Amino acid sequence: MKALVIDDSRTMRRIVGALLEPLGFEVHQAGDGQEALDLLDDGLEVDLACIDWNMPVMDGIEFVTRVRSNPDRRQITLMMVTTESETRQIVRALAAGAHEYLIKPFTPESIRDKLELLGLLGSEEPA
Amino acid sequence: MSATAVDQMYSIAEQVFSAMVDGDVGPLQPWIGEVPAIVDPIVGWVDTHGGWTGRAAMTTSRPVAYDLTRALLRMDAHEEVGMEDLVDAYGELVNVVGGNFKALLPASGTLGLPSVANCLPEVVWAVPMEGLDLAWRGHLIIVSIWMFG
Repeated sequence: MKALVIDDSRTMRRIVGALLEPLGFEVHQAGDGQEALDLLDDGLEVDLACIDWNMPVMDGIEFVTRVRSNPDRRQITLMMVTTESETRQIVRALAAGAHEYLIKPFTPESIRDKLELLGLLGSEEPA
Repeated sequence: MSATAVDQMYSIAEQVFSAMVDGDVGPLQPWIGEVPAIVDPIVGWVDTHGGWTGRAAMTTSRPVAYDLTRALLRMDAHEEVGMEDLVDAYGELVNVVGGNFKALLPASGTLGLPSVANCLPEVVWAVPMEGLDLAWRGHLIIVSIWMFG
């Protein structure tokens, strides 16, 4: 499984990456939505994208909308990972095409629970 | 904000530090006693725009900000931290604390991007709304919320 962690904070990319790698993910990183789209355009194929909301250049909602509008990228599971905790924001993200929504701060258990819910933790996961 | 709101702010800060920094609720406590001036401060802030305009800020001393960065990045106690890492890590911590405070506000707003500097830029029409004095591993951290009038 491959994951793309999209966050303008290098710290948060490291934290999320460090949680995903022991779960069997090969982790790639991007600092904003446009950089992430560029990686996909260059041929990177991922199973999961963890997406921050507020980023410079291109925010997370715009990234989700762009990915969802491309039928070739329907295999990517999109999970928002953000501090935006208001119901209207969650509804907006899901309406744009996000599959799941994880509010910062999160625990290792909560990210694992979300991935299980999404069916992304399979037999490849190390014990 | 009411006393209940201050309790909620503390609860949020405790939750954020527990999940991101310490892995436990113990190291962050309310500050007890007189609050000293912070020498060599580092302040991080994040603004909200739209329905409610204001700022959440978090101030501590530079050595404590370095320790917070090491804790966030799971670095050893004596490992050297660059200024770029400090700005990024401290800014993200403020972003998560401030973003969760937003849910307590009377009207919704749009969260901006976090900033970190030696002092809080003055906004002449800013009104202090609430303050929370915290002790992290015994060191002072001041959290404040400002409303832009």
